[in-house]
Amino acid sequence: MKTARSSGWRPFSRPHKRNAGNCIVQNISESVHCAHFPLISHCAKVSAMDAEASVFHVCEIKIPAGEVKIVSIFIQSLINGLNQGAIYALIALGYTMVYGILRMINFAHGDFIMVGAYTLFYTVPMMVNHGMPAWLAVIAAIAACVVVGVLVERIAYKPVRNSGSISALITALAMSLFLENLAMVLFGANPKTIPKIFDLPMIDILGAKIQVKYLLTLGIGLAIMICMTLFVRLTKIGKAMRAVPQDKEAATIIGINVDRIITMTFAIGSALAAVAALMYCSTYPRATTDMGTMMGIKAFIAAVLGGIGVIPGAMLGGMILGLIEIFVKVYIAPGWYEAITYGILIVVLLIKPSGILGKNVGEKV
Amino acid sequence: MKTKKMLSMAMALSVAATSAFAGVTAFAEEEEDYVIKVGVICAMTGGSAIYGEGAQNAIDMAVEEINASDSEYTIEILNGGNVADDAKDATEAVNAYNSLMAESPEAVVGSFFSTPTLAMAELAADDGMLLLATGATNVDVTLKGDTIFRNCFIDPFQGEMAAQFASEQGYTSAYVIYAKDDDYSNGLKDAFVESAEALGIEVLGVAECTTTDTDFTAQATNAVASGADFVFYPCFLDTVPLLVQQVRDAGFEGAIMGGDGWDGADTTGYEDYFDNCYFTNHYSSEDTSESVQNFVTKYTEAYGTDSLNACAALYYDAMYMLLQAAEDGGGSDTASLVAGMTEMEFSGVAGDIYLDENGDAIKPVVVNTYEDGQIKWLETIQPSA
Repeated sequence: MKTARSSGWRPFSRPHKRNAGNCIVQNISESVHCAHFPLISHCAKVSAMDAEASVFHVCEIKIPAGEVKIVSIFIQSLINGLNQGAIYALIALGYTMVYGILRMINFAHGDFIMVGAYTLFYTVPMMVNHGMPAWLAVIAAIAACVVVGVLVERIAYKPVRNSGSISALITALAMSLFLENLAMVLFGANPKTIPKIFDLPMIDILGAKIQVKYLLTLGIGLAIMICMTLFVRLTKIGKAMRAVPQDKEAATIIGINVDRIITMTFAIGSALAAVAALMYCSTYPRATTDMGTMMGIKAFIAAVLGGIGVIPGAMLGGMILGLIEIFVKVYIAPGWYEAITYGILIVVLLIKPSGILGKNVGEKV
Repeated sequence: MKTKKMLSMAMALSVAATSAFAGVTAFAEEEEDYVIKVGVICAMTGGSAIYGEGAQNAIDMAVEEINASDSEYTIEILNGGNVADDAKDATEAVNAYNSLMAESPEAVVGSFFSTPTLAMAELAADDGMLLLATGATNVDVTLKGDTIFRNCFIDPFQGEMAAQFASEQGYTSAYVIYAKDDDYSNGLKDAFVESAEALGIEVLGVAECTTTDTDFTAQATNAVASGADFVFYPCFLDTVPLLVQQVRDAGFEGAIMGGDGWDGADTTGYEDYFDNCYFTNHYSSEDTSESVQNFVTKYTEAYGTDSLNACAALYYDAMYMLLQAAEDGGGSDTASLVAGMTEMEFSGVAGDIYLDENGDAIKPVVVNTYEDGQIKWLETIQPSA
């Protein structure tokens, strides 16, 4: 039954003759390379063990082409980081827009992604069965998220809108727990694996294997960010969105329907969450009822880091967060990534409390 | 006065003599009844009730066979022939154990999960009761006392066997990704790394993750960059599809392997990613060996295939192990059974077992692979040492 070792297995070629000079060069890159391993001590142990047997052996196995490897690891990590960052950024956009207009942190926003992911779980196979591209399921996900987002706003947030920020915050937390537990009742506690959404090839850049779908996520993230910036800056609704937080009463007097604008903001934020769910599920194809909690916290941090209330800030914060997480995991140690990420957040906020792109405006009295 | 004292002394003596005599009779009776009284515990209710169903069917089948055979010993299942329920819970397990103890068993078999078994093992060690655990793979179970045994392997053993499998298949370098917040994962990782190095497989890196992580792209990048041809991921089923997908997406084409925690992982939509993936397990009904196929055929005829799982096989074997312990130890009382069980060599459905000095089973491990996303038995490997 040993024949079962099928596709992709290939033994290492080990040339026996190597010139010494080459090996020294490789030994230098070897020591650099060692730092990539999370457990450096372990790596050293392996090398020490092998040193007795054959130094050449170590060189050959570990660094087929030292410098190329270093570059390819960097490029691959960069793309991985930007991919994750784009997902954070899309979610952070939703936080930032709601905060920008209501000065309220919608903690249930992360759970809108969960709603989107479960919608995808049920609609992707339907799309595939009907011969349509799987990613079209995002339309159903957007619809589901918009309905949930608008309902949450109308039923839970609107009645407490004038009762102070603590009431709004508690309502948002309650809504988050409600959505999670509702999902558990409806879909069960078992994680659901979402079928493949994009069937795109892999490209090779300087030895780094890059998934085209990661680049797609990045492209969609950037495109949406640009569209949102232009939308808020140029359209009539966008102007109204900027007017409402400045002065609700004045906005009403000049004929802006404040309720409609707020609902619209929630609808857009939820739709972005659905797109984020699609991007998330194409990289991490799993839906769990509590997935929104962690994603929500990360995206919230990204929004604060970039400057909450500022649309490009959400994008920047998300990208920085994603990149830091991946680079810490690759170059320092996977176990440290959360501690370091949040450490950086604290440092940034100490230096610039309003976030990187945030304007330092005092709260209106 | 003196006569009274003499009288009371005589009475005391006679009482002592009678009780000593009674003790001897009782002991003699146990020696000669040739009936092994066994209490059986498993999870009969709750989410794992399917295991209990398999256990009940398996012991019914085994006891019927043993009692009909020409062996001088027979087995009597206490609690009216029924498996006592631990509901996969430590407290319930203690209750079940105590209710069985009221019927003075000579051996207790169970349980299938580590948590309830650990609680019972504590009590069994105090009582000097023979406890034969079935599926409980936590290392500490048999360390609670000398009267505690098991017929399944322990967690780290799977790590050893995975390394042996990798070596036999010709893989030369490995990369390990493990969940640092989980005992099972740590145990398998340590054993794998140790055995792999001993077998000449280079461990090019050990990367951490947690049981709640969803992003493995960083670990995957390092695994591919290390040039390893074998990735070991000893974690549980829920994150397995995530890891396999991300490692393959990073361009890894070698083998990915895990332990029995992989059993039940969802491969839907990612069937091709699971090609060249493997995991170790206790038993497979597809195993082509004669003992397994006989068991599978007989079980399927009587009870169908729904509850034909590893649990059924382990409880079935447990009954035959007690029979052999009685024959080897020369009696059906607990002391003889323990003597017979210590360092026993046994051949059963789940393979040839040797009980080591801790009472843990050294036994073959099933290696499964995937074919179009379906779990497929590949081979059963014997421990080389």
